[in-house]
Amino acid sequence: MKISALNRKLHRAFGGRVTAALADGCIVLRGELDCWDDVVRAGQMAATKYATCHVVNDITFTGGKDAPMRVPALQDDALDGQAPDVLIIGGGISGVSIARELTRQKLDILVVDKECDLALGASGRNDGEVHPGIDLGRGSVKHKYIRRGNAMYDQICKELDVPFRRVGQYVCFQHSWLRPAVWGYCMWRKYHDGIADTELISGRELLRREPNFNPKTRFAISNPDSGCVCPYGLTIAYAENAVQNGARIALNTAVLGMDVADGKITAVHTNRGTLHPALVINAAGVFAEDVARMADDRFFSIHPRRGTNSILDRKAGAFMHSIASVKGNDMVSKTHSKGGGILHTVHDNLLIGPDAVETYEKENTATYPESIAHVFSKQKVTMPALTERDIITYFTGVRAPTFEEDFIIERGRRTHNLIHVAGIQSPGLTTAPAVAEDVADMAVRILARERPVAINPDFDPHRPGIPVLREMDDATRAEYIAKNPDYGVIVCRCEEISRGEILDALRSNVCVPTVDGVKKRVRPGMGRCQGGFCSPQVVRIIAEYLGVPLSAVRKSSADAPITFGPTKSGEVQA
Amino acid sequence: MKELTCIGCPRGCTLKIERDGNGWSVTGNTCPRGREFAISEMTAPKRTICSTVRTAFPDAPVLPVRVSADIPKDRIFDVMDALKTVTVSERIGRGDVVIPNVLGLGVDVIATSSLLRHRPE
Amino acid sequence: MMYDVIVIGGGPGGLAAAISAHENGAHVLLIEREARLGGMLKQCIHDGFGLARFGERLAGPEYVERFIDRLEELGIEAHTQTFVTRVEKTPAGFAVVTVSRDGVARCDTRTLVLATGCRERTAKQVFIHGTRPAGVFTAGTAQHFTNLLGELPTRRCVILGSGDIGLIMARRLTLEGAEVLGVYEAKPTPSGLTRNIHQCLHDYNIPLHLSHTVTRVFGADRLTGVEVAEVDETMRPIPGTEQRIDCDALIVSVGLIPENELAESLGVPLDGHTRGPVCDGQLMTEVPGIFSCGNALHVNDLVDYVSASGELAGKSAAHFAAHTRDEVALTISDDFGYLVPQRLDRTEDNSGVTLYFRSAAVLGPCRVVLTIDGKEVWSRRYPFLRPPEMQQLTLDFDKLGIAHARDAHFTIEVAEA
Repeated sequence: MKISALNRKLHRAFGGRVTAALADGCIVLRGELDCWDDVVRAGQMAATKYATCHVVNDITFTGGKDAPMRVPALQDDALDGQAPDVLIIGGGISGVSIARELTRQKLDILVVDKECDLALGASGRNDGEVHPGIDLGRGSVKHKYIRRGNAMYDQICKELDVPFRRVGQYVCFQHSWLRPAVWGYCMWRKYHDGIADTELISGRELLRREPNFNPKTRFAISNPDSGCVCPYGLTIAYAENAVQNGARIALNTAVLGMDVADGKITAVHTNRGTLHPALVINAAGVFAEDVARMADDRFFSIHPRRGTNSILDRKAGAFMHSIASVKGNDMVSKTHSKGGGILHTVHDNLLIGPDAVETYEKENTATYPESIAHVFSKQKVTMPALTERDIITYFTGVRAPTFEEDFIIERGRRTHNLIHVAGIQSPGLTTAPAVAEDVADMAVRILARERPVAINPDFDPHRPGIPVLREMDDATRAEYIAKNPDYGVIVCRCEEISRGEILDALRSNVCVPTVDGVKKRVRPGMGRCQGGFCSPQVVRIIAEYLGVPLSAVRKSSADAPITFGPTKSGEVQA
Repeated sequence: MKELTCIGCPRGCTLKIERDGNGWSVTGNTCPRGREFAISEMTAPKRTICSTVRTAFPDAPVLPVRVSADIPKDRIFDVMDALKTVTVSERIGRGDVVIPNVLGLGVDVIATSSLLRHRPE
Repeated sequence: MMYDVIVIGGGPGGLAAAISAHENGAHVLLIEREARLGGMLKQCIHDGFGLARFGERLAGPEYVERFIDRLEELGIEAHTQTFVTRVEKTPAGFAVVTVSRDGVARCDTRTLVLATGCRERTAKQVFIHGTRPAGVFTAGTAQHFTNLLGELPTRRCVILGSGDIGLIMARRLTLEGAEVLGVYEAKPTPSGLTRNIHQCLHDYNIPLHLSHTVTRVFGADRLTGVEVAEVDETMRPIPGTEQRIDCDALIVSVGLIPENELAESLGVPLDGHTRGPVCDGQLMTEVPGIFSCGNALHVNDLVDYVSASGELAGKSAAHFAAHTRDEVALTISDDFGYLVPQRLDRTEDNSGVTLYFRSAAVLGPCRVVLTIDGKEVWSRRYPFLRPPEMQQLTLDFDKLGIAHARDAHFTIEVAEA
């Protein structure tokens, strides 16, 4: 689309309040709007799907103000003056998987994340589906990586010792008359786009596999390659393996600014000192555009999109064992996954969602009742037995799409010691293993121009996970308990987690000694009582392990104390 | 006339009490404790206190205690303050006195658990 | 090793069951997952326990330790810090598989008493939205921190739910110097005992807001506030009545759920009203040889009843002999919240069956009526019935002619105003 045509279109839609201009190979939108949905609409009008000429959104939004980026309270100079070979900004799945792949070389790798744990952005707040790519066509970066990423999952999860199940995904249809069109769509995907596992199955066959699905289902698209993984578990495992192989991870470390000279980042300022990395990788999720701006290399814009998932009791997990979504007549349309799906997780819960709501707030992960109601009404069509009564908790994640709805995986356009891994949203978890390989290669090639990069002869791809006692047979379990009796002391009754497993989590090489940190690693508090029974005990184990008072233990960040000190702190009588 | 809810037992009777010459007339009670409670509420309300005291043992940082008999309602927070001043350093048992004659009120603070006798493995 | 009775759960229900099974001649094992026996009463340090049983106002630990002492006196085998991972049916009864510091063990038994207690409904289960900060506690968790660990979980809080634990915690936290800004209850009537409204709230000038609920919480790290709103008759928040309250914690006391996951794994049918197993007059579930008691059977408001049901379940388990049951259902009208037991086995002695029931709503003067085969055979007047206050009564069903009855139906007749 020509820029003049775009401007006419924008004029019609927004009455002159928004204009577009071409600058530095980007479409820059300027103007002023008071409705965020209009801002998004303007961006979408200007964007060409999967294009590399990106929309940069400079529209002033007057209808609200996003809170400033949350920055840790911590201030020190622990990192000051360091000059790592590679600085990775963002401890999500993208950042840590790249770090892990980079440790195959002898490099000084530092991952920084402003949060108190890994995977606290979209990586830890999605449904964990390993996608087949049925909705992706050739020509996109997403498509380039989807099949390769999907195929890598068996091996990577084996190496990193995290559970992965190829349970298969179904897209269900209730109208037989749609079948020819859907068949055509599937064949196109299968033979043109290489989504090779795609097949159509009858409603009867679907109900044979998933008896609790809606009996009105007439046929379904089946993608047996689809699977599920614990998204934060995989992120943590990647990080631990990276650290095992020499990478460093600095949590509570926020990038606050950069010095750029002659197309090169010379300094990166953080709350923990100034760094001088040879190469920077921007894997900052919803803040990727902000990092690009700091690096004087902003050629895209992120428009945050919120999605809420509900987690159902394991009892509901028995209802179905795969991944399902329902599509109405808009199957082939361009809408995003608005009602989400149903997914049987690797921990045997059901996950329902997510929805998709555009938002200007990058870090607002609050939940709203409407989201849950909306998602349930959609998903009950697939499986009428679903009930909100089985919900044990719910959470919101904020995705980081560009207006082109594609990934940006490329070297900086103006700043050359920079690689962007931006615009990562679904299916970013699926593609991560493949993207990590390519970005690591790209990084090594850039670094190798300045100096030789040697292979790391000690690289070990295997990360030993924490034993999951609950899943062992009695004999194996008894052996573990004989070696470490703490494995026999159950702390979390709902998920059957032992004191030994909790201590293992605390001894991990990326130790996050908080209630949430332990919960993400070994699951105490993930069950139906949501930590009601075990959280005081977990607090106590953490306090004992760290040798600190109970009131020094945190739920998550430094500003999240759980208790305020002894009730009996008065004067001691002599 | 004043209406009260008896706290003597879970039944929670609604009591009505009024002056009757030099004495009191109580209605609505279903047992003698109700009458006693109503009169005491009008003259000198009393309550019990259950709380904890600090111990010297990390495995059980606090020990539950109560007063051995009801105390004047307006001294509740004074007794709570007094509880902050003690540390139990013996592995005492249920019923043992923690503070004798607390604040001169004529009642003791006693342990309500023998949990200190239970040593962790 | 073959036991006659394995009791799962070492709280007041399980202790009473183990003692009573032993006293009735059974070879008993008690299994408790925590390090100390006593269950929730370990942390219920307030008084008021045991009035019915001992005629004394005891603190929770005092009450339950009397049972623990008795258990020890009798030399009943009890395994603490031992967690039941599963139970399997065997030809002779059941095999209970446990883990402990000593490893994995398998114990065989003829019968089982499930005294697994209950858990608290969480904030998410009552659909509180917003962020996920530190400072959202169930009342029981707050109680654990305060009474067992001696740690103050809040300085300034709002309590949602007027259940007894919430009321008790309102007082407890106030005594420890925290400020309790108010107790909010979505229902138009309090959920806890009336006397607790008085001695826990009124005594300390803590306001109770009926027909109000907490809709969301604020704060990215520690909780910074909550939003409360008035609710309509269907308990839905009324738009426009929202109000933000600054505080550092939300304590929820919004109901208890009997823990019956183990029972369900054994195919024990549950009653939708109690969420506990369907039982007969001997407290045997629909699965022969499995008994239920205490708060796993239904949520009691007095521990005295918990002990009593434990004793019955323990005794019944000790005397269990496989037989074909001849059951008649005890059905209830909609005015009842629930009634336990839900059925009677006509092959058993039903001359002294203790029934526990709650009304579904607050009722004024009324009459509870038992009809057998369409004929009124028994009734009792009540000045009022309130759902929080469970009623107990003992009936001689044999005399009332249950032996040949086709049905037994309970109704509540409310007197005309």
